Amino acid sequence: MLNLSGEKKKKVGAWLLLSMIGMLVLLPFAPAVVMAAEEAAVEEAKEPEKAKDVFYKEEGEFGIVSGPPAGELVYPDDYGSYGDFQSRTIIWISNQQHLYFGSFVLAVPMFVWVMELIGILQYEKNPKVGKKFDDLAHEMMKISLTAYSVTAILGGILIFSFLALYPGFFRYLSGIFKPVMHIYALLFILESGVLYVYYYGWDSMNDGNGDWKWSHLSLGTILNAVGIVLMVMANTWVSFMMSPAGVDAEGRFLGDIWKVMHNPLMVPVVVHRILGNAAFGGGVVAAYASFKFLSAKTLEEKAHYDWMSYIAMFMGILALIPLPFAGYWLMREIYAYRQQMGITLMGGLLAWVFIMQATMIATLFITVNYYLFQAMGRMPGSERYYKYFKVLLAILVVATIAWLTPHTLVMTPAELKAMGGAQHPVVGNYGVMSAKNTAINTMITTTVVSFIIYQRSNFKLTVPWAWKGNIFLAMLILGAEVNILFLGVYGYFIPANVRIGLSVPQVASTLSVLFIGVAVNTKMLKGAESIGEIRWGKMSVRGAYALFMLAVAFTWTMAVMGYLRSSVRLHWHVNEILRDNSPWAFTNPLGYAGNINSLNVLLFWTMLLFVFWLSALAGAGKKKVEAEEAAAAAVGKAVPAGSH
Amino acid sequence: MSKFKIKAFFAQLLALILAAPMIAWAGGGGGPFDAGTFSAIKVGLVVFAIFSAWLIKDKMGLPLPKLIQAPLLWIICYIGFRVILQPPIPFSLLAMYMGVCTVCIFLYCSLTRPSWEEFSHPIAVMLREDHATAKMSRYATFLIIPGLIAAQTYNQMLPKFGEPIELRTVHPAPPASINVHKKLVTLQTAENPFRIGDDGNYLKVGDEQKYFGGNAWTGDVPKFLQEVQQGGVVFFGTAGCFFCHGDNLDGKGPFSFAFNPIPANFADPGTISQLQETFVFWRVAKGGPDLSREAFPWASAMPPWEKHLTTNEIWKVIIFEYWHTGFFPRTWG
Ligand code: HEC
Repeated sequence: MLNLSGEKKKKVGAWLLLSMIGMLVLLPFAPAVVMAAEEAAVEEAKEPEKAKDVFYKEEGEFGIVSGPPAGELVYPDDYGSYGDFQSRTIIWISNQQHLYFGSFVLAVPMFVWVMELIGILQYEKNPKVGKKFDDLAHEMMKISLTAYSVTAILGGILIFSFLALYPGFFRYLSGIFKPVMHIYALLFILESGVLYVYYYGWDSMNDGNGDWKWSHLSLGTILNAVGIVLMVMANTWVSFMMSPAGVDAEGRFLGDIWKVMHNPLMVPVVVHRILGNAAFGGGVVAAYASFKFLSAKTLEEKAHYDWMSYIAMFMGILALIPLPFAGYWLMREIYAYRQQMGITLMGGLLAWVFIMQATMIATLFITVNYYLFQAMGRMPGSERYYKYFKVLLAILVVATIAWLTPHTLVMTPAELKAMGGAQHPVVGNYGVMSAKNTAINTMITTTVVSFIIYQRSNFKLTVPWAWKGNIFLAMLILGAEVNILFLGVYGYFIPANVRIGLSVPQVASTLSVLFIGVAVNTKMLKGAESIGEIRWGKMSVRGAYALFMLAVAFTWTMAVMGYLRSSVRLHWHVNEILRDNSPWAFTNPLGYAGNINSLNVLLFWTMLLFVFWLSALAGAGKKKVEAEEAAAAAVGKAVPAGSH
Repeated sequence: MSKFKIKAFFAQLLALILAAPMIAWAGGGGGPFDAGTFSAIKVGLVVFAIFSAWLIKDKMGLPLPKLIQAPLLWIICYIGFRVILQPPIPFSLLAMYMGVCTVCIFLYCSLTRPSWEEFSHPIAVMLREDHATAKMSRYATFLIIPGLIAAQTYNQMLPKFGEPIELRTVHPAPPASINVHKKLVTLQTAENPFRIGDDGNYLKVGDEQKYFGGNAWTGDVPKFLQEVQQGGVVFFGTAGCFFCHGDNLDGKGPFSFAFNPIPANFADPGTISQLQETFVFWRVAKGGPDLSREAFPWASAMPPWEKHLTTNEIWKVIIFEYWHTGFFPRTWG
C-alpha cells in the first residue's frame, strides 16, 4: 500500500488538481476540432463559391462562401420594441451595465493575483506583511465574487434584450460567430468553476508559501487567463461591428473565423480595453476601501482600509499611465482603417465628446495628485514639502487649461466677430495635438513628481551622495519637462506624420522621469532615517472623497467613450455591411447621451454599493467573533505597520 | 490679529482693487499696446503682480487669510481671462476656464490640514458661534447666496435676441469617394498629381519643406514652385479665393464677416494642416452645397469650385495653400 506522508500527500494533491484544471482548459476546444472536421467533410461534397474579403484584399485572398448574406433588415419585422421607448437606449444601458461589472470582475483577479504573489514572496522575510497582503487579496476577491453573479445576470438581460429588440441583427452576428459561440459559453463555465475553487479554497489551500499556496496562485493565473480570453472574444464581436473582416461585401461569412476575429481594430481595442479595465478595477477597489474607511469605527479598521485604498489606487494608476498612449494608437489605427471614421471621431460629429473625455482625464490626474497631497498629511515630516504642493497644483492647472481648450469654440456670431475669426490667436494654439500631447505629458510628469515627494516625505536621507542625487533628480525632471515643452512647440512647424513621431520622445521623457526618477529616489531612500511611521488611518476624509471621485470619473469616462466608440458606426449595425434600418438609427444628441451616461454611472454605483454592503454582511458575523477574541487578547494592539 | 496687521491687510486689499483696472487697461485692446498678441509687457505685469504679492505675503510677513485669498485669486483669474487675454474669448470658453479655476482654488485651500483649517475655521465660526459678528455675517451670507442665485435665474430667464449658438461640425466626415468632372476620386487613396519633385517623381509629404519660404515668382524656379505659382494665380486671379479667405490666407478677406460661418483660416494649425489633401480637394470641389449629413446646418458659403475650375486647377490651388502657410497635409504612415 502506498504510504504518503502529509507533505507528500499535499504535493500530489496539488499536482493532481493542477493537471485536472489543465485538462479543463483544453475542453472548450474539443467541439471546435470536431466541427472543423465536419465542415471539411461537408465542403468536399459541393462545388464551393468563392468571394472576396472586405478587408483582407491581398492577391489570392479569396474565401469560400459559407454563410448567408447580411441582407437588408426591415422595420418592424426585424426589430422589436417596448412601446415608444427607444430600443437602442435599452440595449445601451444593459450593455453598459454588463460591461461595467464584466470589466470589474475581470480586473479584480489581476490585482488579487499580484497581491497574492507579493504575499507569498514576503512570507519568508516577514510573515506578518505577507499575511497582510494575502488578506487584502482575499478581501478583494470577496467583493468580486458577488459582482460575478451580478455580471452573469446582466449578461442574461443583455442577451434577452438583443433577442427581443434586435432579433435580425442578433441572428446575423450569431451566424457569423457560430463557430466560437459555444467556446465562449464553455469558457464561461470554466471561469466560474475556477473562480469558486479559487475563492473557497483560499483558506484551506493556504500554507504560507508552500506547494498548496503556489497551486492556489496558479489557479489565479488560470482564472486570469480564462478571463482575458473571454474578454478578447467578446471584444472581437464589437470590433467586428466597427471594422468587419472575414466576410465579403454582402456580409457572407468566408469560412475563416480567425479572419473575422482578427479584424483590423481588434488588437488595439483589446489592448486599450485591458489597460482600461485594470485602471477601472483599481479605482473601484479604491472606492470600496474609501467607503469602508469613511464608515470605519475603530482606528485599526481605518488603518487597514486606508492602506488598502492606497494600494488599489496605486495599481489603478499604474494601468492608467500607459492608457493615453494606447488610445493614440487606437485612434491611429482607426484613421488608417477609414479616414472618415477618424474624422467623425476627432474633428467631426463626435469631437465634442472628446472634450467631455478630456475633462474626465484632467479630473483623474488632478484627483490623484490631490489624493497624494492628502495622504502625505499622515506622514510625519511631510510638512517640509507643503510649500511645493501649490506649485505642483499650479502646473496642473496650466496644463489642464491647455488640455481642455477645444479647437472649435462654441460662440455666438457676435463673439465670433469680436474675436476676429474662428480661432483665437492665443488660446487657439492649444486646440491641436501638439499642445494636447505636451499637456498630458506634463500632467503625468507632475504626478510622478508628487509621488517622488510622497515616497520620501517621512524620511531623512542618509546616503552620502544625497545632494548629488537630489541635483540629478532635479536635472532629470527639469530636463524632461523642457524637452516636452520644446517638442510641443516644435510640433507646430512640421508635417503631421512627423509630428506623430514626436510623441515618442515626449513619452520617453515622461517615462524616464517615471522609471529613472523613482528608481534613483528609491535608491536614495536606502537606509534613510525615518522621521516617523506612516500613521495609517489618519488620512483626511478629503483624501477618501478624492478616491471616490477618481472611481466615479473612471466610470464616467468609460460611459462616454463607450458611447463614442459605438456611435462612430453612425447608421450601421456592422460597418458598411449591415445597415440599421430601425427608427433609432440616428446619432443621439450630446445632451441625451450625457444624461444616459450619467444614468448608467448612477445605476452602476447604486448596484455596486449594494454589492459592497452584501460583502460587508458576509463579513459581519465573522468579525464579531474576531472582535470578541481580540478583546480577550492583549490591550493596546499596535497599528499595522505601513509598507508600500 | 494686531491692529497693524488689520491695517496692512486693508491696504493690500485696496491696492489690489486699484491694481486690477490698471492691469486691465494695460492689457486691454487699444492704447499703446497691440491688442492682438499677448505682449511681453502683459506677461511682465502679471509676473510683477505675483512677485509683489509674494513679497508682501512671505517676506513682509503679512499673510492674507485663506478665506480672503480664495475669492481674490478667483477675481484675478477672472480678470486675466476676461480682460487681459485679448481678443476676448467667447463665454463658453470663459466658463470652462473659470470652472477649472474654481475647482482648483478650492483644492488649493484644502491642500494640507493647516490650510484647510485656516480656510474652514472662519466658516465654522460664522455658522456656529453666537456672538454678534458671527450672527451678522451669517444673516448676510444667507441673504447673499440665495440673492445671487435669484439674480442668475432672472438673467437666464430674460428673453434674448442674439443669434442662437450652433454646435457646428467644422470638419465633417467626407464621403468615401466623389465624382469630379465625371471622374471618380477615392479619397482614401488619391494623390495630388502636382506634388512633383525636381526628379519628376512624387514628392513625399514633408519633402516640400525645401521649397518653403522662397519666392516662387522669380525667374527660373523648380517644377514644384511652378505649380505653386499657378496655384497662386488661381487663388488671387481665376477664382479669387482671397475675397473670402484673405490675402494672408488667414480667413479675413474683405467679404469674410458677411458670412456665418466665416471662411476657413488656413494659417491656423487646426484647418488644412489637420486634413488630408484629398479632404481639402473634396471641400474645394464640392463646397457648401455638397457637405455631408452631419455638417448641419450646411450654411457654409464656400462655392462648389468644380463648376468653375478644372480638376488640375483645384489640385494646384491646394498646393499653393500649403506652400503659402508652411503647413503639410496630414498623412498616416
Ligand atoms: C464666398 C466666399 C468663399 C470663397 C470665394 C472661397 N471660399 Fe473657401 N470657404 C468659405 C467658407 C464660408 C468656408 C467654410 C468654413 C467653415 O465651414 O467653417 C470655406 C471653407 C474652405 C475650405 C475648407 C477648410 C476646412 O478647414 O475645412 C477650403 C479648403 C477652402 N474653403 C478653400 C477655398 C479655395 C481654394 C477657394 C478658391 C478656389 C475658396 N475656398 C474660395 C468661403 C469661401
